[in-house]
Amino acid sequence: MAAAGGGGGGGGRATTSGCGLKRRYSPHDKEEETMNQDQSSKEDWCGRLWNGMDLLKDVTENKHVLPTGLEGIDTLLGGGLRQGQLTEVTGPSSSGKTQVCLHSASHVAVKHMGVVMYLDTSNSFSPSRIATIIDGTNDLSDQRGFDLPHKERLKTMMRSIVCKSVFDIFGMFEVLHQLEVSLLNDKVKSGGRKICLLIVDSISSLLAPIIGGKYPQGRSMMISVAMILKKLAYKHNLSVLVTNHMVSAGNGAVKPALGESWKAVPHVRLVISRVHGSNICTATVLKHTLLASGRTAKFVVPS
Amino acid sequence: MAAEAGRDPRAWLAVDETAAAFLSRLLSSRPPITLPPPLHRSPLRPGNVVEIAGPSNSGKSHLLLMAAVQCILPKEWEGIYFGGLGRAVMYLDLDCRFDVLRLAQILRNRIAEGCRSAHLRNGDPENDGTKDEFQCSLENTLFSDCMQRFLYARCCNSPEFISALKTVKSQSRREVSSAGIYFVMIDRHSIGAFYWIDRGSQPARENKGRTLQSITESVVHELRKLLQLQPALVLVTKAPIYGEGTTTANDFNRVSSKYILADSTGLGYSRQEEERTLSNREYMPSIWQSFVTHRINLQVEEAEVPSVLESEVLPVHTSEWVQPYLKTKGKFSIMDDGVSLIQ
Repeated sequence: MAAAGGGGGGGGRATTSGCGLKRRYSPHDKEEETMNQDQSSKEDWCGRLWNGMDLLKDVTENKHVLPTGLEGIDTLLGGGLRQGQLTEVTGPSSSGKTQVCLHSASHVAVKHMGVVMYLDTSNSFSPSRIATIIDGTNDLSDQRGFDLPHKERLKTMMRSIVCKSVFDIFGMFEVLHQLEVSLLNDKVKSGGRKICLLIVDSISSLLAPIIGGKYPQGRSMMISVAMILKKLAYKHNLSVLVTNHMVSAGNGAVKPALGESWKAVPHVRLVISRVHGSNICTATVLKHTLLASGRTAKFVVPS
Repeated sequence: MAAEAGRDPRAWLAVDETAAAFLSRLLSSRPPITLPPPLHRSPLRPGNVVEIAGPSNSGKSHLLLMAAVQCILPKEWEGIYFGGLGRAVMYLDLDCRFDVLRLAQILRNRIAEGCRSAHLRNGDPENDGTKDEFQCSLENTLFSDCMQRFLYARCCNSPEFISALKTVKSQSRREVSSAGIYFVMIDRHSIGAFYWIDRGSQPARENKGRTLQSITESVVHELRKLLQLQPALVLVTKAPIYGEGTTTANDFNRVSSKYILADSTGLGYSRQEEERTLSNREYMPSIWQSFVTHRINLQVEEAEVPSVLESEVLPVHTSEWVQPYLKTKGKFSIMDDGVSLIQ
């Protein structure tokens, strides 16, 4: 019955549903699966009650802050994108949202913080732009001290960015499910490089078409996706960055898309805007769990 | 029943206890609680269920955190008066939006403020800005003591929520020692999510029929059993739902702007009021509505309040008690470490 229930309950054990993944998340088949998993979910629950001090310890030890590489945004966010949280960047078109995503991905790659997974819905991922950004950073010297040629270093950095294209909501569910399964299987492996940042460029282009009045399941699917993303972020110490676009709010004003139900989903919301023709963008904090909202900062997107 | 009544009808009619004894027993086992403003206007006791409703960004989760801090702080510690309750808090997060750092921040600020005012009262002239090692370790012990009393669980969907409630109940049964759970807080801003998901499921397919109705019934059932076992104050947050068929604020504005040419502020205000009444449509099943004993609505006002720092203006929030109905609306604004009332 709950889409997230089918995914959340089935994440810990091998999925035995014979039907394909696409049908797995459709509203009609959810009920049978949650029926079977209801009994075992009760045992799952023992020991999931956390204590205040345990929570604090988990946050300080496991959930670090990933800087985006753009100074203004990092100051606004109190250091960068925090793992375990869902950050949303919204703004009118060509205001620099994709640039923020590409910069965060490159920064994580340059600093060898982990693997970045980039889910691209509108073919806006550009490897040449990533290469330009990586080249542009001053800190290209290899910390490990090996003397690799420039191209080799670039290759290893680019390899830590994984890009996948998704074009509809069912593809999104499939990708997220595969990610969840692979993360659970990887838990036994120690070392190696784990994914630490998940970027969904333009989640609104996936969700906006289904939210309208004609498709009744649309809103529940949006909330299911949101719950899956937040669960992934929390359990596997990922930082999730999504972008959203703007729609008109009457009287010439603009507001973020996806409506009121989406407002409660992200932990941190930023609005960015750019003066036409210049590189300087302004970012405003709409909502933050820790810091006051309403603060602005300017940042420059290097070309 | 008839046989027993026949045996000794007089015993059946005997007095159990007088009203005075009843009142004193109630006051000792379920004492009234004072919550930080703006929840302080109505007297609350364990066993009450308070529903805090309001649109996004109106300060509901902040109120829950304030009440949680109030509960986990001890009444008095090392001679410093904090005025807390010193009991445990159970926080059920259906939203997955809880930030423990925010709770830690508020708690630390409260502890620091308490220690500072105690020093001022004792008249320690040399301790204006500096804190010695002893002071810091004292504060840290108190901090960790309080955090131990904060219990947290997160749920991603309705079945998890119900099993979480069952676990809480069985765990509290095991813990016979004191400091039982005193507050239960349920952060269900996106209960709307569960609402849509549960509403979308088709009830005709199964015998058990997991509809919204049955889910809410099991939730209320579990909560009632928990409250019977251990009387606690339940605080629930709720967000308004925007239905598919109802007009949103946009459409309303667009339609009415055609007829209202002169922008008189009186009309503009009434339009805003209508938007708000539109959005506060009750969408939970009646079994939940009868379970809730108190209701308070929060809104964000557009007016600005000059604050200490010039660069920031703090938005003003209003609170309105719907049940029991109070005519006055309180105004408050959210600071870094708490809530300040504006009259």
